[in-house]
Amino acid sequence: MITQTPKWPVYVLGSVALVWIIPLVGIIAMSIRPEGEITSGWWTIEPFTFTLDAWREVWVNYPIGRAFLNSLAVASFATVLPVLFAPAAAYAFHYLKFPFRRILLLILVNAFVVPNQVVIIPLFKLWRETGLIDTYWSVVIPFVGLSFAWAVLLVKNFLSNFPRSLIDAAQVDGCGHLRTYFFIVLPNTITAMAAVGILQFMWTWNSLLLPMLFLRENATLPVMLSTISGAYEPNWDQRAVATIITSILPLVIFLFFQKYFSADGKNNSGSKG
Amino acid sequence: MSVQHGSILTSQTQAGPFAGLANRLFGGNLRRADWIAFALLAPTLIFFSIGVLYPLFETIRVSFLDWTGLSQPKPAGFSNYTKLFRDANFWNALRVTLTWTLACTGISVAIGWSVALISGLAPKQTAPFRVAIFAAYGISETASGLMWLGILQPDFGLLNGILRLVGLEGWASPWLGEPSTAIWGVVAAYVWTQAGLPLLTCYAAIQAIPKSQLEAAHMDGASHFQILRYIMAPLSLPGVRIAIFINLLNSLKAFDMIHILTAGGPIRATETVGYFMYQESVIYFKQGYGAASTVVLLLAVIVCSIPLILDKASESK
Repeated sequence: MITQTPKWPVYVLGSVALVWIIPLVGIIAMSIRPEGEITSGWWTIEPFTFTLDAWREVWVNYPIGRAFLNSLAVASFATVLPVLFAPAAAYAFHYLKFPFRRILLLILVNAFVVPNQVVIIPLFKLWRETGLIDTYWSVVIPFVGLSFAWAVLLVKNFLSNFPRSLIDAAQVDGCGHLRTYFFIVLPNTITAMAAVGILQFMWTWNSLLLPMLFLRENATLPVMLSTISGAYEPNWDQRAVATIITSILPLVIFLFFQKYFSADGKNNSGSKG
Repeated sequence: MSVQHGSILTSQTQAGPFAGLANRLFGGNLRRADWIAFALLAPTLIFFSIGVLYPLFETIRVSFLDWTGLSQPKPAGFSNYTKLFRDANFWNALRVTLTWTLACTGISVAIGWSVALISGLAPKQTAPFRVAIFAAYGISETASGLMWLGILQPDFGLLNGILRLVGLEGWASPWLGEPSTAIWGVVAAYVWTQAGLPLLTCYAAIQAIPKSQLEAAHMDGASHFQILRYIMAPLSLPGVRIAIFINLLNSLKAFDMIHILTAGGPIRATETVGYFMYQESVIYFKQGYGAASTVVLLLAVIVCSIPLILDKASESK
């Protein structure tokens, strides 16, 4: 675009990015140094001893393997369900006419205002009464419910770019709404569903408040991390490892797909126009 | 717009050659379409009702009850709310919330926007730097909090370490343990996780500026700074606007980062309304009172999102 690019943005943004990765460098340094060196400053250069002891011991001292599996289960269930159901709801809202359509849609898409704090106490009581406390469902149900607020709107906006001629053609060929949905629309909403899935997986994997209150035995990684997060707790090296293990999966997914988010992701729905 | 979408089937069949056939086959085809619609919606509505609507109405209901610990709930009218606004701790929470949301939103959007603008001048060379800043957005607040302890920890955190190194030992401080600085420590850590979003939305807006416009400005002799100031800055405002909203709502709802770094302390210096609610309902088990403060939080979020709600109302016809 601009014929010659100036040099200074590189330096300015380079220093900002440097500040940004310092906490990451710190946590990695802590995870590979003995605790004695950490408590005299993880950034010190002399003496530097490389050790993977913390990476070995963390599995013994903290229930981290189990927490990882719990996180995986919670985030997977909480991701798969909206990915399956949001397109169906979006299809109904976008192409069908039925009683209360507008009011239902308005309530649903504006539920993004509801903070997690609003749902915790009533759901805690409900789960205790129904025996769902400490099961994956106790967090998956509110996660899925809250996700529809943005997921349905995201898929519905995607559908407004979807070529109507395809739908019309299917219906002229005798497809009913269910068949149109399953064979024409659903296969083409994969881009939108991928966006829903990635964001939802990342958010549910990372979230603390709901799992902290509803899952005691089945603690997820952030919950486990929160119980050992005090500034004066010992085992800095192992806590650093736990922090890395907690962050690695969402971070990799996120970096892998970050290009996709910055692209405007219009549509590629098998027809031009 | 979508009213037309809604009637695709009916208008198509009525107008098209298959009209009579379809009508005979479906009988009153509208009622059948209704059933299909609700079948498609059923899973969404079920999860939404249990996971969001029920607790929402229950919280509002409980906020009008006198209900602490194990006592029997009694109707209490607005007394929880009047008590709330006579509670010095709640006023403190409101003050902290104001500082917290303005600081977090303002700083994160300012950083994200500036980085987006500057990198708009050299998009290719600065790509790795954008990724580095954006990456923090993928890390949980819990893990970020622990990472920031490595900076803010009083004895061997990086910040005090640097201060001691350059001879400013007197400035070294237990940042998170000091009521006057604790909130800024938490703000710094929170901004670190949140700046990626404004960067993304603003950069997307800048990318959408037609290249010809930038080239024309350059041909006419505009300096880089002028291009940045008079073309990129105004044209990226939609990205700024959406980022302000999202980060404002996120920081109003914030809980995790505060819980990890300070748990509302020291002496309530970092206790936002979103954390006050947790203290009252979960720790002290004052259900009615806690619910009332939750409703205040909900109202605050609703007030801040009115422009977005109006947007969506027009979008979701």
